[in-house]
Amino acid sequence: MVSDRVGSPPASPAADHRGRVWEPSQGSHNNRTEIRVGGLGGQGIILCGSIIGKAAAIYSGRHAALIQAFGPEARGSACSAQVIVADAAIGYPYVRHPDILVLLSQDAFVQFSPQLKPDGLVLYENELVHPEGKLPTTARSLGIPATRFAEELGRRLVLNIVMAGFFTGATNLLSIDAVEKAVVDSVPKGTESLNLKALMKGYEYGRGLVTPT
Amino acid sequence: MDRDGFPRVAKLKDGSSVEISLASAADGPALLDFYRLLSDEDRLVLKDDVTTPGWLARFLAKLASGASTSLVARADGRICGEATLHRTLHGWSRHVGEIRLSVAADRRGKGLGYALATGVVKLAIDLGIEKMVAYLVESQIAARKTFERLGFRKEAELARQVTDLLGAKRDLFIYANDVSYIWAAMEALVEDYSSHEGH
Repeated sequence: MVSDRVGSPPASPAADHRGRVWEPSQGSHNNRTEIRVGGLGGQGIILCGSIIGKAAAIYSGRHAALIQAFGPEARGSACSAQVIVADAAIGYPYVRHPDILVLLSQDAFVQFSPQLKPDGLVLYENELVHPEGKLPTTARSLGIPATRFAEELGRRLVLNIVMAGFFTGATNLLSIDAVEKAVVDSVPKGTESLNLKALMKGYEYGRGLVTPT
Repeated sequence: MDRDGFPRVAKLKDGSSVEISLASAADGPALLDFYRLLSDEDRLVLKDDVTTPGWLARFLAKLASGASTSLVARADGRICGEATLHRTLHGWSRHVGEIRLSVAADRRGKGLGYALATGVVKLAIDLGIEKMVAYLVESQIAARKTFERLGFRKEAELARQVTDLLGAKRDLFIYANDVSYIWAAMEALVEDYSSHEGH
């Protein structure tokens, strides 16, 4: 495997990160995987976490728990979702030391990266989050220009769905079929088509980073 | 399959099938053939003289620029229907798209117009169009029903706006479908906020 620690950011992330695949077995007892999605209100953080949880619990036959936290303002205040995915019932639904961080703001990175497990994975929006040199050498990180992708698709609103796809492609924790169903189940009628395009954009980008050439 | 799930096969009410695909420059000659086969009466309700090479050049330029997005239906090796979304890429009506629809006479009444219109409405929503309009003459009863099934409603009526082949004056209806609520629902969903819940 190729080291992808962020102390020396690669000129070509896709090339340097190839071959790195998240292994769900890295999660602790009962394949418990702790995920924290963090960003700002208005970025669809809670929906992103909810889609991951639904894909696991409803469409993959696993167990999932979601805790959401948001600030006093509708937009711009800190917001995060804690998602647990496990093979057995979840007794404690809070994320203490995330295996995976999905980050859409620098503030969220500053707040949550110290809690990351030593061998944890950080998935980040690379125009909004700059983790360079600020993670332990054992941690891994993968960035995606999700905002640009969402804008190219015609709606910046689908940024969070691009990130859900990126999560799916980069981690192998959930099948893309399950996440597709969770997206269709979660978004308003009439927006499914564009949201699925956003999901696939993120998914393919994520696969491209972790699939050996 | 190219973008947006096209081409796709649509089954019509009479059991026949047509292939619906995104129009490209390669469809130009077949499109001209399609329009030239329409009757004078059918062409009268179209905004442009669609039988000329000049029209085709302008149409293809709009396709290339993104100002137009078009679907064509093919059966038996020829185009038998076309639906186009026209939009302005800047200005105060950039959120509005106009839909134009034409179906060959021998394919009418079989659901092809509805299939094409449905496809182009979905493309419009994905492109961020918030309001769609269609200009329909009072005599285009089937087309009006097709658009009504898709949520369009008559928003304006221009009396005696159209002169038909016999010289009679007809009313022109502007049908509109405001789909901004669809993405407003998505905006609400990504707000990450509830007035009833908190930390």
